[in-house]
Amino acid sequence: MASVTYPQTFETPATPTTLKLAKREQAMIGAHIIAALVALMFGIFMGPFQTFHRSPTFVQYFPTIPVFTFYYQAVTAHGVMNALFFTTFFIIGFCYFVVERSLQRPIKSTPMGWAAFASMALGLVFMLFVLLTMPQQSAVLYTFYPPMIAPALFYIGLVLLALGSWLASANIFLTYRDWKREHPNERVPLAVFAILVNFIVWCVATIGVALEIVFMLLPASLGILRVTDPQLARTLFWFFGHPLVYFWLLPAYVSWYTMLPRQAGGKLFSEPLARVAFIMFVVFSVPVGVHHQFSDPGISASSKGIQTLLTLIVSIPSFMTAFNVGAALENAARNRGAKTLFDWPFKQKWNDPVVAAQLSGMLLFIAGGFSGLINASAQLNATIHNTSWVPAHFHQTLGGGVTLTYIGILYWLLPAIRGRALFSKKAALAQVFTWLIGMTLFGLAMGEAGLQGVPRRALTSQAPYLTPAGAFWMDVTAVSGVILLISSILLYVNIIGTLFFSRQPMPAADVPIETVSGDRTSPLWFERWGIWLGILGILLLISYGPVIAEVLDFQEGWNILRFMPTSNAPMP
Amino acid sequence: MEINKLERYWLIAVGITLGAFTAATILAVTVFGIRLPAPVERIDPQRLEQTIFANPGVRKIADNRYEAVIVARSWAFDAGPEAGNPAVLRFPRGSQVTFYVTSKDVMHGFQIEKHTLNLELVPGQIARATANFNRPGTYHIICNHYCGAGHQVMYGVIIVE
Ligand code: HEM
Ligand SMILES: [Cu+2]
Ligand SMILES: [Cu+2]
Repeated sequence: MASVTYPQTFETPATPTTLKLAKREQAMIGAHIIAALVALMFGIFMGPFQTFHRSPTFVQYFPTIPVFTFYYQAVTAHGVMNALFFTTFFIIGFCYFVVERSLQRPIKSTPMGWAAFASMALGLVFMLFVLLTMPQQSAVLYTFYPPMIAPALFYIGLVLLALGSWLASANIFLTYRDWKREHPNERVPLAVFAILVNFIVWCVATIGVALEIVFMLLPASLGILRVTDPQLARTLFWFFGHPLVYFWLLPAYVSWYTMLPRQAGGKLFSEPLARVAFIMFVVFSVPVGVHHQFSDPGISASSKGIQTLLTLIVSIPSFMTAFNVGAALENAARNRGAKTLFDWPFKQKWNDPVVAAQLSGMLLFIAGGFSGLINASAQLNATIHNTSWVPAHFHQTLGGGVTLTYIGILYWLLPAIRGRALFSKKAALAQVFTWLIGMTLFGLAMGEAGLQGVPRRALTSQAPYLTPAGAFWMDVTAVSGVILLISSILLYVNIIGTLFFSRQPMPAADVPIETVSGDRTSPLWFERWGIWLGILGILLLISYGPVIAEVLDFQEGWNILRFMPTSNAPMP
Repeated sequence: MEINKLERYWLIAVGITLGAFTAATILAVTVFGIRLPAPVERIDPQRLEQTIFANPGVRKIADNRYEAVIVARSWAFDAGPEAGNPAVLRFPRGSQVTFYVTSKDVMHGFQIEKHTLNLELVPGQIARATANFNRPGTYHIICNHYCGAGHQVMYGVIIVE
């Protein structure tokens, strides 16, 4: 296959030119980003409508809310589209871009890349079809716990998504292998290092959910298997479900570590320590899924204890990131004339949507980090488990930190793909700040409601047990929903405007990408991936060995497949 | 590889904080005896009549001590005919109640409002937990795990007199 040479126009910011993507690069990355935006569109607009559904006052004045009248269908579509499809498509598209640009070579195999995309896109179509046409049966939420069983198409859509993502991972690993052969004594650029970590985590994590779907849920849905084990299924799901959050987070970290310093006008504090942080993610992000199962009856307290300790360790690389990225931002502000101890946060480029989105994301992410430490503490967990506190937490982290960073990336990546400037910088800034305000309010209101005992994923406006305080906070949530609806509309105005109506060429210096590793000090054995996988394997044995043994219940003789699947129960 | 002085201090501070959290957790479990749900017994959700869940309800086992056996199903907590639907359980103030709860169909949740009792009800597993009721008042038992179209109407009531 003929290799593509990359014009490095972005290295010469003096003369404003456009970043020219090679044709096939543009097509491949563009397809992923557009698919991501289609998925996000179905997901994101559900969000505000859910807040309206949950608010007693809103429902009193608008008894029929037009879109998705079945609340649980909306929550399912929102979770599946946002958390699974949007993220996967976006991450793969973005990571292709970073890998190709940083390593200065196309990804290993274009046909394989398109096969991966086709698989995921077909998965998206199947999933949308089943979510839209079978509201009741497909409302099993993005966690799809048995014995509630969805139509087979739901699981087939997920399998196709996973298959495609594995092909994409293989493509990235092979590209790296080729590069490494040609550059045996060089350190891979930090961005690619992080992306390799991300896909290693993803490939290990998806084994859990793949086993669950292929051997339990899909056969049950097709009527081949008459029995299922909910406790085992939950354990397999969370084996995947926790590392999943790092799969979302690491691409945002790639942007914070390797692009934001340049976008903000500073430089990263320490590259070797960034590598140490990423290695810690390989080793510690997978073996901690049981902290989502503190309230499960089938897992012993000692297993839960072990995983709590590992959970605390996995916060270390995030603390390291806070320091490293914080220092880079301070450096940027000092370059711009910040003098005193505390003026540097204000001397950032708050008027540049690319930077403002990421900074706003960080603000939300800090709040999310603290609510996360509360979740991780087993005892405190009991007061907030499955309450509205939980969506408050992950809208600060995923809906705030991660999504806003992705949006910040989108604000330069979409113009780069299209070869046109962003449609409206003003609209982009308004979008970022309405999102920040809306999510802050959403987080506060849902968090407060959770402390009042309001459950998550419930049509609270119809719940007989809703207390006046709970009702009040649900109404506040609906107000944040209005703000976020405006923000979402602005986002799509800008996306459609940039794709179809923007006429200005794309300004050059807007694409930040490191092509060489500036770091000559970090040891080369950091890239001996076998070591990290070996350590991860040992940790998994220690952390998940006992859990699986308990869940399978050896005393009773491997009798794991005993329970009838029950499908979605009818309306009362 | 060289680690900058400032960053080293930061890492030490992080290490100490997390060490303290770890110590607190270990103490909580070993010394203060904070209990997380742990395996009790596996049962067949299709044959609850052969288990303690054949006759759900509240039993007094000693002074101020009760046992409550409850079956969750879409969309009610069944605590026996006396408790009714939605189930209403009454306990005198200061009582200690051990709950034995299971699900006979899909997953449900068992959360007592303004309390730390919060259980996942997994079909095939018995969830057990003990709660103290010292303050008089009315508390909802809320199903906090999505269990189908009527999820939001699934609840019970605890009255502490
Ligand atoms: C427009 C802004 C958004 C609003 C107003 C919003 C609102 C909501 C609401 C009301 C719920 C249901 C909470 C419950 O009933 O417990 C929810 C759930 C959820 N949201 Fe969002 N959301 C928004 C954006 C996002 C984004 C951008 C993501 C991820 C990329 C996201 C991911 C999720 C997930 C994973 C759930 C959980 C679904 C489940 O529990 O099954 N949301 N959101
Ligand atoms: Cu229920
Ligand atoms: Cu429920």
